[in-house]
Amino acid sequence: MLLILLISSVVIFYALRSAPGGPSGGGVLSPLSSQEVRQAYEKRLGLDQPVYTQYFIYLGHLARGDLGTSLVNGSPIVELLATHARNSLVLGLTALLISYVIAIPLGVLAAVKRNTWIDQLAMGGAILGMGIPNFWLALILVYFFSLRLGWLPSAGCCDPPQLIMPALVLAAEGTAVTMRMTRSSMLEHLRDDFVRALRAKGLPEWEVIVRHVLRNALIPVISLTGLRLGWLVGYALIVETIFRWPGVGYLLVDSVLRRDYPVAQFFSLLLIFFVLIANWLADIGYGLANPRIRVA
Amino acid sequence: MSRSEIALEVKDLRTTLFMRDGNVDVVRGISFRVKEGETLALVGESGCGKTLTALSVIRLLPDPPARVTQGQVLLAGEDIRHVPEHEMRSLRGDAISMVFQEPLTSLDPVFTIGDQITEAITAHRKVSRQEARTLAAEILREVQIPSPEQRLKDYPHQLSGGMRQRVMIAMALVLDPKVLIADEPTTALDVTIQAQILDLIRAEQERRRLAVLLITHNLAVVSQVADRVAVMYAGEIVEEAPASELFANPLHPYTQGLLSSIPSAAGDRKHLYTIPGRVPDPRALPPACLFAPRCPYAINRCWNEHPGLVATDGHLLRCWNPQPFTALQAVEPGRVDPSVAASE
Amino acid sequence: MADLTVIDDKAAWEARVDRLWAARPTRWRDAWHELTRNRLALGGSVIVAFFTLVAIVGPALAPYDYAKQVLSDTLLPPLTRGHLLGTDALGRDLLSRLLLGIRISMAVGLGTTAIALVVGTVAGMLAGYYRGWVDRIVGGFVELVWGFPLILIAVLLIGAIGPGLVGVVVAVGFVNWAGFARIVRGEVFALREKEFVASARALGKGDLDIMIRHLLPNVVGSALVMGSYYIAIAIIAEAGLSFIGMGAQPPLPSLGQMINEGSGYMLLNHWLSTIPGIVIVLLVLGLNVLGDGMRDVLDPRLKGTG
Repeated sequence: MLLILLISSVVIFYALRSAPGGPSGGGVLSPLSSQEVRQAYEKRLGLDQPVYTQYFIYLGHLARGDLGTSLVNGSPIVELLATHARNSLVLGLTALLISYVIAIPLGVLAAVKRNTWIDQLAMGGAILGMGIPNFWLALILVYFFSLRLGWLPSAGCCDPPQLIMPALVLAAEGTAVTMRMTRSSMLEHLRDDFVRALRAKGLPEWEVIVRHVLRNALIPVISLTGLRLGWLVGYALIVETIFRWPGVGYLLVDSVLRRDYPVAQFFSLLLIFFVLIANWLADIGYGLANPRIRVA
Repeated sequence: MSRSEIALEVKDLRTTLFMRDGNVDVVRGISFRVKEGETLALVGESGCGKTLTALSVIRLLPDPPARVTQGQVLLAGEDIRHVPEHEMRSLRGDAISMVFQEPLTSLDPVFTIGDQITEAITAHRKVSRQEARTLAAEILREVQIPSPEQRLKDYPHQLSGGMRQRVMIAMALVLDPKVLIADEPTTALDVTIQAQILDLIRAEQERRRLAVLLITHNLAVVSQVADRVAVMYAGEIVEEAPASELFANPLHPYTQGLLSSIPSAAGDRKHLYTIPGRVPDPRALPPACLFAPRCPYAINRCWNEHPGLVATDGHLLRCWNPQPFTALQAVEPGRVDPSVAASE
Repeated sequence: MADLTVIDDKAAWEARVDRLWAARPTRWRDAWHELTRNRLALGGSVIVAFFTLVAIVGPALAPYDYAKQVLSDTLLPPLTRGHLLGTDALGRDLLSRLLLGIRISMAVGLGTTAIALVVGTVAGMLAGYYRGWVDRIVGGFVELVWGFPLILIAVLLIGAIGPGLVGVVVAVGFVNWAGFARIVRGEVFALREKEFVASARALGKGDLDIMIRHLLPNVVGSALVMGSYYIAIAIIAEAGLSFIGMGAQPPLPSLGQMINEGSGYMLLNHWLSTIPGIVIVLLVLGLNVLGDGMRDVLDPRLKGTG
């Protein structure tokens, strides 16, 4: 995993610097700035040195815990990390929570009442949830709830009302996928032999379904969480940008567009690291949830 | 001598499968009785409807597509066919229990043995979890599982097949039911374990005066534990008699065929007999004897009239033209070696 | 005792059985089931075919030049004379832009998926067939890339090479091939053990021959089903990236970009964003449904399990 991080960091470092158009320095430089101004700026920031030199200097800084400062507004990245990471976590966890709270009961219901209107409604909703682009959904929600009804603010951070819409939009696709997964897993396990044996013991039906079948059915769903987290990172980039939610995603997009190298580098590495951890956790999670693997 | 109570009585049971291309009767008018302390074996090839009969009794038919459409099921005199589901639920596991064929898949793989037994107890009795756990350990000890407290913490996949089946039996008997239905309890087990399990069932039956309905296709199993035997074919009972009588004097050609196809340790046959033909398709059954196409003694009447069940000295028979079992010597019950007898 | 004459009346019996069979009522519900099951595939393919047609011919039929700005005719609502879907803030005809946008979306979707499919299938086959170190390398790579969020990669990539459709295409292709590789690898793994491979080998057939003539046809079905889903994913990704400014650049009318441009006018002129959005939703829906339908046709056992 470390190897991947290392390779990624090199790739990103080079990639960012080779992009067309140099840094804008947050307005200090513009395409019209003269050569001398630009050169002076680059010299000051050490950007005139060969790229590999810059890279090792950067590594040195990282090793000392100096994360650098933003080229745009000079804020130390450490500070940016604290605030933005926290915001993203809040948003992400809320979305995750929402999606599980909705998807799992719905999936169970759809499986138990298979082929009834409940099931068809749930499946229809899932198809929609997977098909509607989240940014468009965001716009529609903003249109109704902010512009028309005025109930919710359309952007910004960090009060609860501002959290609602971004979290819902972020949760949308995940909810649909989780619901389908839960449903199909439930349908499979409802056919297991032990279900009949449990009923023969005289257990109430709800206990059979919730305590036993669901527990078995959730195994693949839980192990999917790690992957879900990874995907959530991707979607968060867009959702945060739309709603101007100052999280890591928003920061990354912004910094890439503005050629704020230090910020873009650090946070992209951070996100990659996060995704790798999440995938790794997914593997572990599966082992934990399934006693047959755990108690080998 | 006091008359034994009839623990389970089934009268004229008819179960139908409701499917897209028509309805099929798979259990057609079955009647039998099981007394306290008695084992009735329901024998037949796969597909004859014996498992569905058992599920019909305990009302665990997969619905859709199956449903009981006629008949009575009397548990200690009470008709349980029409009681509301929640009442039936309280009877299951408590007054009437069922053990299934495959013990590994009949246990929830993500719960410990202890949890599964205790939940069977707490579903019916108001006891604390501690007390339930103690009871669970006791019953495990009774079915001769070593170090029961340890086993309570194990998961199903950690036990051997034989032990799992003991656990299933323990779970079924922990609340002292009146009736135990055992659906092929030994089929999935090693031959050596089979005998142990059957002994266990026998022992428990004596101890608790349990009525046992044993479903099987294996005549060796029958010979070891059954008091009475009912032979099923194509959804009907074609012969019923006390076990010793059945083995000594089988009257129905189908029963005779079944007995002839057991390689017996006591016999000196040259080759095995197999019954020619196949079980008829239940969707298209003519009004005649259903066994006729495979019967060596079929006469004109057999092709045109469906025989009824006739009782002679406690021996029931559904046949127009029974012939004595001259083909081979009568097989003594208990002498059949289970290690060579699986009639399938 | 009864008549002991053993008459073999089997013929009469069988005649009876045949009559009973014939008398069974046939249910037309069976036919209905067939129809509805294939309806998914049918409906999906209709939608997709429609959009493909639009993508190919549409822009040629557009009433106006998509980039032409008529500043006197800005923000006209739909159904105004001469502008079926209205105009945007710069007076450009929405219908014309929409048609080109559809073409861009379809092109990106189909293009990236085609590449991903080919690369992924090849990789998956190699990994599944040869196993060993080939599988460790390719398989490891696949596992790594598979869980990665598309958007993250895309943003980083575009950070490197600058915004534009090229970046989108490369990024999407970079991640999506792994999905195909995974599925193909799994199937080849299983197929490899089957007898027909062993017998082909025994006949002296070369590896390549086996892969192409025997394994490939079996794998194509699943690959196509996945393909449908992945085109939808690619389309949404392209729209999303264009929305945040990293995809198609103005004046190219990517659907996502049109939504972005219209977002500022939601209050009074919401159709600027709503209409392109609806188009995306329909297209994606059609593709997903087509995928489901194809899957049902190929493996009806999975139907109903989501």
